[in-house]
Amino acid sequence: MAALSRSLISHLRIFSQCRSMSSQVERIIEGKPGIMTPNSKRTGAIAIKCGMTALWDKWGERIPISILWLDDNIVSQVKTPEKEGITALQVGCAHKKEKHLTKPEVGHFRAQGVPMKRKLKEFPVTEDALLPVGTSISVRHFVPGQYVDVAGITRGKGFQGGMKRWGFSGMPASHGASLSHRSIGSTGQRDAPGKVFKGKKMPGRMGGVQRTVKNVWVYKIDPARNLMWVKGQVPGAEGNFVFIKDSVYKKPDISTLPFPTYFAQEDEDVADLEPLMADLGDTDPFMAAD
Amino acid sequence: MWRRVPSQLRALTPKCNVSSSEISRPCVALYLRNFSSQFGNASTKKEVELGNLFETRLNVSVNRHASLTSPYKVYGSCLSQDTTMVPSFPRRFITTGAISQVSEDASASSLTTPRIKFKRLDKTAAHIMQILDKEAVQEVRAQSEIPDIKPGYIIQLKVEVPENKRRVSTVKGIVIARRNAGLNTTFRLRRLVAGVGVENLFHLYSPNLKEIKVLDKKKVRRAKLYYLRDKMNALKKH
Repeated sequence: MAALSRSLISHLRIFSQCRSMSSQVERIIEGKPGIMTPNSKRTGAIAIKCGMTALWDKWGERIPISILWLDDNIVSQVKTPEKEGITALQVGCAHKKEKHLTKPEVGHFRAQGVPMKRKLKEFPVTEDALLPVGTSISVRHFVPGQYVDVAGITRGKGFQGGMKRWGFSGMPASHGASLSHRSIGSTGQRDAPGKVFKGKKMPGRMGGVQRTVKNVWVYKIDPARNLMWVKGQVPGAEGNFVFIKDSVYKKPDISTLPFPTYFAQEDEDVADLEPLMADLGDTDPFMAAD
Repeated sequence: MWRRVPSQLRALTPKCNVSSSEISRPCVALYLRNFSSQFGNASTKKEVELGNLFETRLNVSVNRHASLTSPYKVYGSCLSQDTTMVPSFPRRFITTGAISQVSEDASASSLTTPRIKFKRLDKTAAHIMQILDKEAVQEVRAQSEIPDIKPGYIIQLKVEVPENKRRVSTVKGIVIARRNAGLNTTFRLRRLVAGVGVENLFHLYSPNLKEIKVLDKKKVRRAKLYYLRDKMNALKKH
């Protein structure tokens, strides 16, 4: 009897809680600058890999550069814990014509009220880093001199053997090695276990998977054209999408990053801004050896 | 019906150029500055931008939101005439168009009817790379005067070697090869150093090349003079 009443009470409590939650005001997300805490996480951005060159920095050192183009990133959906269960921002990049999109996709863009984008990617963020739908994320979201993690689908290499795919060393070219100079050699033991273990490195299709290159240094950004120069290599071929976010290991200095993103002032004309370069320091790295 | 008479287009391009100058999105402005005349005459196929969410039949002007950073030709008010040509333009856009246009007007620039053409992204990427490369080369050329270097020239260089405590050394030799690659254009110099033939590869636009002087021009019938590696006596004079 008492148990029954207890369960009844608990059910009533849950029911009333549900009632109160549904009558709660919907979360209002404003696009205003905020203060970043060590626990907060900002969005990333989607860029197109344009290619690679090499530049000379002010000390005369040659730096290999990949150029990434942040073509019109816009927040296309906000995911909140109330509705979707997670806090994330869906960012879209590059244009797409409506005739090239399926009807469900078109409906999604129209429902959110954003222009049609070619690539959508969700970036999990913390609650204080949420942005309203339609906010554009420019290249000034990143600061030159910070480290970023860049993820992309690598170049496809096709069916490759063990030496290229896994770095096996193969067998000697001479000294009697018969018919197996680049083969993978042995694949296991004998009767015990009597099988080849799953996941054994063997020839197969290489490339065409998503990989992340970590701790890529941002050398220069051009806010007028939304271009970003980063040092080193970035996965993927030219013209492919890459996803950039703040580095996890080499965390950037919180005070320098625009949080939740960079909001352009009304009077600023984007065309007039000069490219921003990373600060290389005052000490000449070559003379420092003395 | 998509192939409009080029003359009509040309008539429209002045208008386009004017409106394009208003574009605050510099990527488009950049491309237009470089290629406006070329584009004006080139394209005859006008595919109406169906992807544009805000295009309505009632409202002839097509607002192009922040997509203006896309580097393709913006046809300004040309599109206004085009929409009338397309009767199939959806009534279904009307409802969303009215609402979203209000928000659009607030955020987008004051440009009326931009339309952006698309190319395959890797082509766009290559185009961007080309432009950046040219800019970088022009920047270096504007700063220091770099003479023309062809194979067969005898050159004297002042090179600053950062690794060697920034000593400026003079290097004299014959150019045996030149490789054109935009900013990374390199040339090979062959010279006799203490009786030993030495070949050096230099970047033409490197900030470490302080001074280049052309001393003599030899007549050669080849772009790459690798045969000089076998002819050591020919180098003795230089």
